[in-house]
Amino acid sequence: MAPVTLHHVKKSYGDTAIIHGVDIDIADGEFVVLVGPSGCGKSTLLRMIAGLETITDGEVSIGSRVVNDLDPKDRDIAMVFQNYALYPHMTVETNMGFSLEHRGASKAEIAERVRWAAGILGLEPLLKRYPRQLSGGQRQRVAMGRAIVRNPQVFLFDEPLSNLDAKLRVVMRGEIKSLHQRLGVTTVYVTHDQIEAMTMADKIVVMNAGKVEQIGAPLDLYDRPANQFVASFIGSPAMNFIGGRITTEGFVGAGVTLPLPAGVSGENAVYGIRPEHFELSPDGLPATVLLVEPMGSETQVTMTLGEHQIIGVFRERVQAKPGSTITIKPDIANIHLFDAGTGLRIN
Amino acid sequence: MKTELSPRVKVALYGLMCVLLIPFVFPTWWMVTSSVKPISDIFAFPPDLWPRRFDWTTYGKVFELQPFAQQYWNSAYIAAVVTLGTMVFSSMAGYAFARIKFPGANLLFTIVLLGLLIPSEVTIVPLFQMFLKWGMINTHWPLILVPIFGAPSVFATFVMRQFFIALPGELEEAARVDGLGRFKIFWIIALPLAKPALGAVAIFTFLHSWNLYLEPIVFISARNMFTLPQALTQFTDAYGGAMWNIQMAAATMTALPVLAVFIIAQKQFVEGLAHTGLKG
Repeated sequence: MAPVTLHHVKKSYGDTAIIHGVDIDIADGEFVVLVGPSGCGKSTLLRMIAGLETITDGEVSIGSRVVNDLDPKDRDIAMVFQNYALYPHMTVETNMGFSLEHRGASKAEIAERVRWAAGILGLEPLLKRYPRQLSGGQRQRVAMGRAIVRNPQVFLFDEPLSNLDAKLRVVMRGEIKSLHQRLGVTTVYVTHDQIEAMTMADKIVVMNAGKVEQIGAPLDLYDRPANQFVASFIGSPAMNFIGGRITTEGFVGAGVTLPLPAGVSGENAVYGIRPEHFELSPDGLPATVLLVEPMGSETQVTMTLGEHQIIGVFRERVQAKPGSTITIKPDIANIHLFDAGTGLRIN
Repeated sequence: MKTELSPRVKVALYGLMCVLLIPFVFPTWWMVTSSVKPISDIFAFPPDLWPRRFDWTTYGKVFELQPFAQQYWNSAYIAAVVTLGTMVFSSMAGYAFARIKFPGANLLFTIVLLGLLIPSEVTIVPLFQMFLKWGMINTHWPLILVPIFGAPSVFATFVMRQFFIALPGELEEAARVDGLGRFKIFWIIALPLAKPALGAVAIFTFLHSWNLYLEPIVFISARNMFTLPQALTQFTDAYGGAMWNIQMAAATMTALPVLAVFIIAQKQFVEGLAHTGLKG
């Protein structure tokens, strides 16, 4: 176990800058998720920590060592790849013991460590099989087994669940999380799935276009996004945004005036509210229903408020038909206001 | 969706395939049957598809008229060395062209490929001059070196490169994290996975070397140094006329390893070419 520090890390391919100076502190034993849309540079950053990509500028430290110029094998990390990267011509057992074998461990030690890892992940019956004889979930477990067998200082996961079906993804998510709780190894996990990020992370790093948009605990990011990008990326369905002006009467959008918390000032702004922060209320604002999607535990309603299309999620069973009008009230305690120009939070 | 063919269509298809088979099977059939016919029966009219009389002495005469066992050994060991050498060099070169980024890699590969466009007849005279200078005429060295560093090896390099290009990069990255350097990644990870492509390379290289004709007749003049294709032309009588039945017996024995290689390894061969994306 070791802390990982990224200090002003940059990456360029020729004249094209991919990572624009990233600073992240990952504490010893922490589970950090790098999340962001495709092409935001999160995998590149992970590969730079692994040593699979060179660092153009800045410093990457693992423990007390700056590892910029170290080979991946000398960084004491283990990585789980998106496509598992199991060696097809080796059995599960050989795959898992491979790194130990090439680091000069004795046969007895390899056997013991492989048995230990296989025990944790329930892989004992599969040890003599080849990767082609395994299901996706089993391969994923073997890939994790290969990572933990060496007891590295840091685990790196590069979108490890993206090839699994939705149900298995939920199961494996839990397994990775409980594995982390059991072993306590510092973990850096890359995903584009914000639900994975929210459910697994101690700390989330939201990235966009090679920059860090915000770092924080999952619920901090959810409750107080630093900017409109983070607000839109975290949460599903996404936060509703209404462009307009802050006035003394309230927030004036196109065809609608919304209530504001006290003490807010500014001019042009974006009014953000999460779908679950609307409530059905007789004295609320009229909204025209476009689509009603009952989920069982809640109902998702797509509607127009003034001239803005928004989504509301209600615990109640909404019986409204498309074209009808319902009255909704935004929860004033959960309003997010962003500067219309910079997108930064202003309340 | 697969549709089941009606019995009538099946019979018609098999019949058509049998007809199409004739041009491929008949020469082999004629070679084998002629090898056990007295020479006068070979030219009988109408021709006999099945020998009227069997003359098995032709096979013994093959070894009396030529040092055929020695020539067989020459062909066998040359083909083995060429196959092994080509597998080593083409796999390393193919891997380098596919996986190692270096300036001018594509240009260099194009130049290497251009070698395929030069017919061996064009280079045979300069090669003769070169091997003469090196004192290698009438040795087997030219028959080993020319294929290993010539067109067959270029084709083999191309096949191996195509295979290695398709190998997932994550496997190499996992191996790097696991502590392997470049050569070990090639040797322990990439090469074992390239077995189908290597198999294909081995088969066509072996066959190419086994059937090599132009180079032996240019570089070799001593009878005991001959390879089989060259030796086959030497079964003539005192007047220079071909001793067809003995020649066919020698040809039958020459073709045996080729047939064996195809029968044993045809699946590997097809799979290997399929893996490299060369299958039509």
